[in-house]
Amino acid sequence: MITSLIGLILRAAVVLAGTALITFTLLWNAPGDPAQAIAMARFDALLTQDIINQVREEAGLDAGFWTAFITWVGPLLTLDFGQSSVTGRDVWPDLLTAIGYVTPLAVGGLAIGLALSFSLAIVATRRPGGLLDRFAIAVASLGTAIPAYWLGLLLILLFAVHLAWLPAMGARTPSHIILPALTLGLGVAASLTRIIRSGILEARDQPFLSAIRRRGVSPKDISRDHIAPHAAIPVVTVFGLELAFLLEGVVMVEVIFGRPGLGTFLVNAIEARDFPQVQAVVVLTALIFVTVNLIIDVIYRIIDPRIGGRNA
Amino acid sequence: MLKVDRVWVRRGSRFALENISLSLPPGKTLAIVGESGAGKSTLIATILGLLKPRKGDVTWADHSVRACGPALVMQEPRAAFNPALSLRRSVMEPIVARNEVVPHERIRRLSDSLELSLDILDRCPGEISIGQAQRLAILRALMTAPPLVLLDEPLSALDAATQKRTARLISDLQREERFAAMVVTHDLGYAVAHADEIAVIKSGRIEEVFTPQTFAMEPKSAYCRSLRDAAIALGALEEPV
Amino acid sequence: MRSVAAIVGALLFLAVAGPLLAPHDPTAINIPGRLSPPTSEYLLGTDILGRDILSRLLYGARWSLGLAFLISLIGLCAGTLIGLLAALGGKLTDWAAMRATDTFLAFPDLVAAVVIAGLLGSGTWSLIFALSVTGWMRYARVARGIGLSLRTRGYVIQAKLAGLNHWSVARWHYLPWLLPTLTVVWTGMFARAILGISALGFLGFGVQPPMPEWGTMLLDARIHLRSTPLQMIWPGLAVVISVLVINLAGDILRDTVATEGDHA
Repeated sequence: MITSLIGLILRAAVVLAGTALITFTLLWNAPGDPAQAIAMARFDALLTQDIINQVREEAGLDAGFWTAFITWVGPLLTLDFGQSSVTGRDVWPDLLTAIGYVTPLAVGGLAIGLALSFSLAIVATRRPGGLLDRFAIAVASLGTAIPAYWLGLLLILLFAVHLAWLPAMGARTPSHIILPALTLGLGVAASLTRIIRSGILEARDQPFLSAIRRRGVSPKDISRDHIAPHAAIPVVTVFGLELAFLLEGVVMVEVIFGRPGLGTFLVNAIEARDFPQVQAVVVLTALIFVTVNLIIDVIYRIIDPRIGGRNA
Repeated sequence: MLKVDRVWVRRGSRFALENISLSLPPGKTLAIVGESGAGKSTLIATILGLLKPRKGDVTWADHSVRACGPALVMQEPRAAFNPALSLRRSVMEPIVARNEVVPHERIRRLSDSLELSLDILDRCPGEISIGQAQRLAILRALMTAPPLVLLDEPLSALDAATQKRTARLISDLQREERFAAMVVTHDLGYAVAHADEIAVIKSGRIEEVFTPQTFAMEPKSAYCRSLRDAAIALGALEEPV
Repeated sequence: MRSVAAIVGALLFLAVAGPLLAPHDPTAINIPGRLSPPTSEYLLGTDILGRDILSRLLYGARWSLGLAFLISLIGLCAGTLIGLLAALGGKLTDWAAMRATDTFLAFPDLVAAVVIAGLLGSGTWSLIFALSVTGWMRYARVARGIGLSLRTRGYVIQAKLAGLNHWSVARWHYLPWLLPTLTVVWTGMFARAILGISALGFLGFGVQPPMPEWGTMLLDARIHLRSTPLQMIWPGLAVVISVLVINLAGDILRDTVATEGDHA
């Protein structure tokens, strides 16, 4: 257990190092002068050629890729994201504001998605292959084909334009979150329903369950001791998948609804070529993602001791 | 001459072969006898260079074994042919790989000796019998006239009648082609009837090496004595006079 | 199998021949006739600059479907190559290839594509690069998994002993077994590429105006949502129908592969 835990952590570290390397390669090759970009990141917008040259020397940009990479990655290791190259402000406070906006949206979307998909899956599996089951699968398939930006526009059209029930753009009042969260939640539900449905079916149809049932174990005990642990693995997997889905969804949804948050922060930073802000989002996302996947891997090993060794 | 010189091979956390030394002169037959898990397949893989020994050397005429172009006949004949390809493609593979001209005359002669009709080459691996597949595998193995052929339980997937026929064909061919053969088997009767030397292997170590004559007479270790007695009891071996 | 080929063929036909079927020039501006409702001449109406929406949709198929096909094919080739290298190469190659795969998977791929396309500058080439570079990992994992299971097959060992070069071994003894499963993965990635292209287009990082691309058309339509709501229906519908049809093809293919037996 301890050695496999160390192995997992080492692997996560390698992945993070890889992400840093890829990000830096991207910045290195992005159009424009990297020295100027770094100089803009560190000082105010007004730059003289002297300052840029000085930065070039300090960052080891003349010495080549690897020296420059080491110099670049140093502050990131301490989560020091520096200053925005556009506003000159520290990146962290703005990033925290964005996170403050994105968290309720993501949590709301996930909650709506989980509630919808679980109820749909439970109704569907009451009679597998039945009309309701096939309907649920069809709805889920349709849902996965609808891109979030189109769904969002449709919801705006219906609830904000035609019915005028809900506000669409911005984040001024609490009710502004309803449509974005609904857009996100419908997407989550579409992607989850099939997985949860087959998870329930699989957990319920294990061959040994009928043997236990015949021996007179109560249904409640069977659910607790045999079905629930088996169903737990797909649920854990789902959380790993959903994290990716949520992060992607959030970017699109925030842009559609003109809502401040991590996605808007990222897109604006890219458009302004504000490298320090972009880096901050990338590093933070990778960190969250790798950590969550690490936790999921550990939970897997606790639920199912068979998993381990050289899994792909 | 095949030389296996004090070879140690690791598999996972333990040694599957410990200090194995063997030799096989050109044109002769060496039988490796032992129960499953004794390390027979590991030995074959090591000789073919598919596994690297931790210590020791395997050579043919003082060069690596792979350099002499050894051939392998496997236990499961159908698995030796890719079901996605025609048998002709599979059989020609050694020729294609070496960019050689297809030796039509040799193929005809070999297929005659193996009692195979050449039109089965146009079929798929699933469409021929296991016996045919094994004879075809032997045909493929001998295409490039290798000086060394390794046979990994070549008969055990076949039924009794086919076993006899295939064993006869193998020894006939060996007389014609003069290749050195190393046969892994658990069939003592076959080993005694066809081999020039028999090595008994147990738990990755060589227990004893005999000639067929001495094996029936005077096994030193208790394990080899029990093997001999079991073979006699099964009628696979004649009792020594 | 035939129905799958027909579906993919029809989509590709649209991508290639779409422009030929278009009744109007997709970029021809006609201010007096702007925001026209559907008429017999403009079957789906016109947009804010008076351009024919149907023609724009048909031209857009070249980008949205054609580019998606190209991107998913690049991913297929690159991913299969990396997966096979991992399976056939030594332990170190395997380790490096798998950690690279983990690294690229350690990031929501659409977000990664947005960052890459954005940083490299908007345009078709950076769009192709961004979606390809984030779209090979699933192929690589599948190819490696099947490859590892084939490595100990009798015919692979025989091919190695015969001295067949690595390329031929991969071509004749691995690819025939990889292709069915990889094709199923490919349909999923084709759909993903369609969604990715239009998502990047919608964010303004993809195909640039005035080129008609479905995502960019949605971006246009979003601005005029209140005045001409119908305008945003068509490009979205085009994306949804394409993705649905490809997913259907993928489901049929998956069933076929499953019934043909698990060879790997």
